[in-house]
Amino acid sequence: MGTNPSDTSYSVNKELEHQFVTELENNQNIVHKVCSLYTHDRDSHNDLFQEITIQLWKAYPKFRGESKFSTWMYRVALNTAITLYRKSKKRVPTQDFDSVLFKIKADEYDAEEERQLKLMYDAIRQLGDIDKALVFLYLEDKSYSEISETLGITEVNARVKMNRVKTKLRTILNP
Amino acid sequence: MMDELDLLKKDWQKQGEKLPRLTYDELYAMIWKRSSSIVKWIFIISILEFALPHLLYLLPSAREGLALYDELGLRYAILGLTVLQYSVVFYFIFQFYKRYREISVLDSARELMRKIIRTRKTVKNYIIFALSVFLFTFIIIAIGILFSDGDSFLHVFELEGKSIDMSTQQLKLIISGVMIAMGIVCTALLGLIYFLIYGLLLRKLGRNYSELKRLEV
Repeated sequence: MGTNPSDTSYSVNKELEHQFVTELENNQNIVHKVCSLYTHDRDSHNDLFQEITIQLWKAYPKFRGESKFSTWMYRVALNTAITLYRKSKKRVPTQDFDSVLFKIKADEYDAEEERQLKLMYDAIRQLGDIDKALVFLYLEDKSYSEISETLGITEVNARVKMNRVKTKLRTILNP
Repeated sequence: MMDELDLLKKDWQKQGEKLPRLTYDELYAMIWKRSSSIVKWIFIISILEFALPHLLYLLPSAREGLALYDELGLRYAILGLTVLQYSVVFYFIFQFYKRYREISVLDSARELMRKIIRTRKTVKNYIIFALSVFLFTFIIIAIGILFSDGDSFLHVFELEGKSIDMSTQQLKLIISGVMIAMGIVCTALLGLIYFLIYGLLLRKLGRNYSELKRLEV
């Protein structure tokens, strides 16, 4: 029997699936971080994670390794969180979930730093969707040019906006 | 403040060990699940909005309505309007599909939002068009009634031989007035329902989009 052409495409697909899931497995922290910023409880965290995974997979054939897999992931993950994801019912944030994600290790920081961090995380959660994205990219050490490309604004405006977000955070922290 | 943010950055980058971790198999299972993104919802709802007004014609009462047009001498006016309506409908569907296909998660946040809003706007324009045709149909019928000859008018509304204390002309005026009033009320009601759906679907998106746009001014 000769080789069936559909066998080849079958194995090509399998190869693609394997490649994708391996990359995702290695870079899943990025997605978890986005989910932790944009959702307030474990169910919606998983829900958003699921949706981002689907969007990543759907777009994967168009990813041709021009950029790093992780760079490409930031864009798809944020687009999904900000725009595509439909929030299921608004739920009251549960305290135990917050503490799982943003648990501060007491032995690493003094009490004052710990208090500040807790306040910061709470303040970030109160920001709007776009501001959250800015803070997220900033915390991930992204350059302003990368931030501006991801959000679709100019670099100057990205800086201006970031400064405004800092001011906003400051007001939330010291009312 | 900068110190606080730096402290936060330091802590943020150490989060890795605290985050949940999914296995290869769990992730593999996820890629086969169905998306429930807003784009998908917009697609489904838009298709329904395109289809619903046309499904109404399948109702028997709507087909009886065609006989009514004949008797009122409106056959060609209504036929012309229908031909025009369908050409415009197909134009809108084509436009919608083209714009829908252009939506890509790989665009920048702003571009993605702009394309979604533009796609939805096509449907919005379609609805405005459909509602206008709807209202226009009522108006044409009202005009048809006013200018129909008395006998066929009385026949259509089954008023022959009934002793009504009014002239045929007065009856025509009243019935065409009622037609126009009905047309306005129905159109307003449908419009209200539609713009509620539209507003709810795009509220969050519109807010984020205008926040990104506000910067550019």
